[in-house]
Amino acid sequence: MTAKRDILGRVRGGVGKGDFAGRRAAAEAVLNARLRGPQPTISDGLIERFRVKAESLASTVDAVSDRKDAPAAVAAYLSANGLPMRVVVAQEIESLDWSGCAIVSAARGAVDSDQVGVTACFCAVAETGTLMLLSGPDSPATVSLLPETHIALVDTSRIVATMEDAFALLRAEREAVPRAINFISGPSRTGDIEQTIVLGAHGPCRVHLILIGISS
Amino acid sequence: MSAAKHSQAMHFHARAGENVRNPVLQRALQKAKPLFVGKRAKGIAALADDGLEFEMLRTACEGIRNRTLADLDVWLDIFEERAITSGAEVLWARDGEEVGRLVVDIARRYGVTKATKSKSMLSEEAHLNEVLAKAGVRPVETDLGEYIVQLAGETPSHIIAPAVHKTIEEIEALFAKEHGRPVETRTSADIPDMTREAREVLRQHFLSAEMGISGANFLIAETGTAALVTNEGNGRMVTTLPKVHVVVTGIEKIVPTLEDFATLMRLLPRSATGQTISNYVSLLTGTKQPGDQDGPEKTVFILVDNGRANLLGSPYQDMLRCIRCGACMNHCPVYFSLGGHAYGWVYPGPMGSVLTPLYTGIENALDLPHASTGCNQCGSVCPVRIPLPKLMHQLREEQVERHLRPWSERLALKAWAWVAGQPVLYRWLTRRAVRYLNWLADDAGRIRIFGLAPGWTAGRDLPVASGRTFHELYKARK
Ligand code: SF4
Repeated sequence: MTAKRDILGRVRGGVGKGDFAGRRAAAEAVLNARLRGPQPTISDGLIERFRVKAESLASTVDAVSDRKDAPAAVAAYLSANGLPMRVVVAQEIESLDWSGCAIVSAARGAVDSDQVGVTACFCAVAETGTLMLLSGPDSPATVSLLPETHIALVDTSRIVATMEDAFALLRAEREAVPRAINFISGPSRTGDIEQTIVLGAHGPCRVHLILIGISS
Repeated sequence: MSAAKHSQAMHFHARAGENVRNPVLQRALQKAKPLFVGKRAKGIAALADDGLEFEMLRTACEGIRNRTLADLDVWLDIFEERAITSGAEVLWARDGEEVGRLVVDIARRYGVTKATKSKSMLSEEAHLNEVLAKAGVRPVETDLGEYIVQLAGETPSHIIAPAVHKTIEEIEALFAKEHGRPVETRTSADIPDMTREAREVLRQHFLSAEMGISGANFLIAETGTAALVTNEGNGRMVTTLPKVHVVVTGIEKIVPTLEDFATLMRLLPRSATGQTISNYVSLLTGTKQPGDQDGPEKTVFILVDNGRANLLGSPYQDMLRCIRCGACMNHCPVYFSLGGHAYGWVYPGPMGSVLTPLYTGIENALDLPHASTGCNQCGSVCPVRIPLPKLMHQLREEQVERHLRPWSERLALKAWAWVAGQPVLYRWLTRRAVRYLNWLADDAGRIRIFGLAPGWTAGRDLPVASGRTFHELYKARK
């Protein structure tokens, strides 16, 4: 407790203002105002922008017209890439017909030996081609983290322009922030050996996105 | 101050000389510089595609950081309150030693034998690895660059590219030894394999560690959240898998809202690596929730002062805006001649030349504020507009005011001031001086060794002037 008192004492001295209560009320007002900084103007449509950016970050992108078609798209990706037809899925998409597409699915958090993890996402950000995942009982954080291949289903009606818009959606739909909000932009990478970029550092080596709601 | 004990910043001159003559280091640095500069330039230029521009975003980022610092006591209060409400514990540490004590304490409480770490420069300030090892906890650095540096028994030489000073041959030797296999001949084509090897070894550490230690790029007051920005995914691992997560970070890292965070994220990755966004941006709040299958059962924030609070309200307050992007060192000719280790403490480059004397004592880092060519590249790329050259200048003035300069320099300055006040003597002396300099020069018009101050010409030549004084030239033109 004394460390806290010392440090805050020094901070108060440095800040050099009185009226803590008044300033605290002003700060709360700032929190409620939710003012945004400069926003980008995104000229393409959001879906197109999202796709282009995601691909530029080394994700691969496929599209289906309906959510129920997603397992078939997953199966096609797995067989095209020589991956096993055995996946761990987030519980939120457990009810899709995986076995109908010859996929053996386990709905749980991922473990080290899982090779493919399939998740949905809370929303996606067009500006940067980014997924926003929220941790929770139906969407364990490990499914998008431990397996070498991460496949994500992206509902195109939930692609927003910016990270600010994603936060606005979060506030509108959830009471509180979850333990982990993970913004994911492509496969993990490192440049730590001679500044050479390598995909697949500690997180997934491959990220495949299936856009839902695009009629072909 | 305890930090001074570990600082090697007083050996800047000696190390600078060694490093300039180290061909392996020079090769590594010369390879990296154009990459860093080119990537940032591209990332910044791409802002225009979205109708944004650097100066406008920079003003916004500078403003966010300034507003936070102006009421830092209030923002810390709000952050602490909301972090606790969300289920985390918040502790405070006055200095590095206190950080060590607190972390070891937590480790004992939870029976921790191994801690995986994601990059945290503050843990370097606290010498946390040493302290943990002494307490019987094995610290494992998991950022690939940090891992390499830890195997080498060194410290990071760059805040975002810790192993930038290492060549592939050096890394191969370290991996062979640690991973128990013979050394192989490696070319850049083998870098993916080497990365894979480290991934497999570190994966086992991620799965078995009981504690994860991370820094935080920002603390978001609105939600009591730690924001972690990484590319490798190691930050996600150490904050998801172990049962205890400890966040060690500075009290200045606060930003008020999620919107402020989003604004800063438009410049942080671009300034650091030229990326529009880093691969993983994680916002971590509280602990594992009811029904959650993963996440830490215990989350502890350690908010560290270690010299920061003293800068508030001082002529150096601007420095607290720093978001640790590394752009200043990536654009610094001095940094790329010497490498990061020459700076002798945790932070290298221009930001280190300002922070090291401020955090470890001005008298313990006399050379650093002089480690500048005055080119202001650092000041012009800094995403939060920190006037780095001006701050270095202020530190130099303070050295003079506090009589910290060597007696020879002080005497010379006094003598100069006196001579400059005597016009006749001044003209006579400068005439003699320029003739002497002209006489010293070789045929190419360069002075190779300057006898009065040999240090000036130890690593460079001094081009000679015309041999006539300004007064003489001026008269001749009239
Ligand atoms: S001083 Fe500015 S440029 Fe340097 S690391 Fe800090 S924020 Fe980046």
